[in-house]
Formats: sequence, C-alpha cells, structure tokens
Amino acid sequence: MLQNNILFNQSSVKLEIIGLPDYSNNESKDNISIISQWKLTIINQPLIEGNLDHLKSFIEAFYTYTNYLLNTENPKYQSKLIDIKQENHLIHDVILKSTKPNVKPLNLKIGNSCLADIINCFDQLGSSEKVKIIYSKDFSFLFKKQNKSLFHKANISNVLLPPLISLFSIFIISSGLVYFYDATNEQDTSILNSENSFISIKTL
Amino acid sequence: MLALETIDINCAESLFKISDKLNLKQVLPNKVTIWKLRNNNPMRRSFNRVSISFVEFDALLKLTSEMSKYLYPFIREILQSREDFNNNPYAWNNFRDRYIELMKERLNINTMKVKRLLDSRFNDEIFTTILLSLALSISDEGLKRLRLTLLNS
Repeated sequence: MLQNNILFNQSSVKLEIIGLPDYSNNESKDNISIISQWKLTIINQPLIEGNLDHLKSFIEAFYTYTNYLLNTENPKYQSKLIDIKQENHLIHDVILKSTKPNVKPLNLKIGNSCLADIINCFDQLGSSEKVKIIYSKDFSFLFKKQNKSLFHKANISNVLLPPLISLFSIFIISSGLVYFYDATNEQDTSILNSENSFISIKTL
Repeated sequence: MLALETIDINCAESLFKISDKLNLKQVLPNKVTIWKLRNNNPMRRSFNRVSISFVEFDALLKLTSEMSKYLYPFIREILQSREDFNNNPYAWNNFRDRYIELMKERLNINTMKVKRLLDSRFNDEIFTTILLSLALSISDEGLKRLRLTLLNS
C-alpha cells in the first residue's frame, strides 16, 4: 500500500510526515491519520527521524523549552530522549538520546533562527487539516496562563519583604530618635503652660 | 510593535491595512485608535493612561502576529545575522541602530527601563528576545504563545 507523504517547510527546516489515512473513518485518501515515520531536515545538521512516540517527545521537548525560554530566565528541558538547554542567548544545545543500545547521543547546536523555524514547522503540522494531529490535546497545557501562586517562594518574598523592611526601618529610626528626645524638658514647659493658663483665668 | 516598525518603515499604514484584513474594524476603526492604544505603554513619551479592554489587547496581539508573519524573512535574517555576527553583521547592526533611534524618538529616555534598553551592555539580549518572540508568534499557536508570554510577564 502506498503511503502518503506531507511536507512542512519553514526556511531552513523541513518536516516530512509519512503515514496512512484511516479508511475506517471514511477519511480522504490524501490525509494521514496513522503516522508511521517522520523526518526532520535542518540545514547543516544531520537528519533526524523516528516513529510517532519520538515525534511526540520531540514536539513536547521543543514546545516546553520554548515556553520556558520566553517566560523564565534559565530555560532547560530534560527527558529520557531529549535534553535542551541554553548555551547563551543566541545558541541552544540539543542532545538527542537514542533508545538503541550503544548509540552515542547526538549533540546539535541550533541558533534562535533555526529554533523559530523548527517551532513554526510544528505549528504548521498542528494546524494542518491533512494530518490528524497528535498533540492538540496533549500539549494544550503549554498554552494556558500560568497561575502565579501567592504561596510560591519568590512571590511570598516579593509580597512580604517590602512592608517588613519599611516597618523595620521605621522602628530603627524612631528608636534612635528616642535618645535625642528630652522628656523632662517637655514636662516642665507643660507645667509652665498650665500655670500660665491659671494666671490668665485669675486675671479674667 | 516598535521592533516591527523598525523593520517596516511604513508599519502604521500596514497595521491599519492588516486590521481591515483581519476584520478588526469594529475594535480598531482608524489609525488614531491604534495610535492611542499603543500610547498606553508607560515607557512612551506620549504616554496616555486609557483603560484598555481585553478585546483591544487581543486585537493588538493579532495585528502583531499577522505583521510578524509578513516580516518573518526579515526577522529571521536579523536573528541569523546576530548569530553569525563576525561574517554577516550588516542586518543586525542596521536593525539595532534604527531601533535605538526609534526608541530615543518615541520613548521617555529619562525612565530607568528605557535607559536600560538603550544601554549597549544589556540591550543585545533584550533585542534578541524581542525578535525571537516575534518570530515565534506567526501562527495561531504562536499567537497563543505571545498572549501567554505577555500575560505572564
């Protein structure tokens, strides 16, 4: 049986999906519902290919890493098959670990432009009507707003530290001023004032 | 959007045309509305505090995403120029110089945030991140990514 072959291109990256339509669902013969193989070609990098599980892991790794890259300071993704970390703000270090024994991990160094191409290729795959995509449900959590918990360590310090510091500084300043405050002098003048008031009443 | 304007000199006109194409006429009926919404940025010299609704915020995001889609080849070229700066510095240098020029013209240079943006010790990484965010926002999923990034920031 002839397999279908659908291509997704974005500048330096080409993603090829090979598979069959699901005839039991009366699908068009041009569609792919059963992915048997995929190939990712990146210019100046070795060819990457695998089965559906590898594709899922690959997409999850890149989507999660990109999410971290845009929202956190130290983006890093680690899994059984793929590790991605930032070498500097221009280069990303990708380590692909083979499931076969005695195969050394493949190390790729990709730039921001190449990363954008890969992600856009996956986005094209996701929005394609010809390929019954595998990740729309699995990775939907990546596109949900992160709940900034008040009980997060950083948030607690952000919320509590400023008022505590201000209260502490007020306490320090006011306790320092106590030494310069002459309480007896104040008492004397208040007595004088009261005497003066008596005098003024008498004169009235 | 200022980064997009750096790449496309005629960005204001393009944004208005795109808003028409995306059926955003009800939210963004004219160029002045877009300009007013863009002035909601406190870093702007002409900062004008107007309450911005979620629909207007979303319309601006859609415009940014669509505009990035058109300008993707240029954005990519600038990013690549930064990665291979020793051999191909022209695109990056050109972008950086024009971006700084635009920031000095439009933003309030007395604020710390803008001073940091203009400081060559810090702005390299910030400019790269801005361009990468734009490059990653050119699809429907990319639009969600951009929305998420802005809401989380």
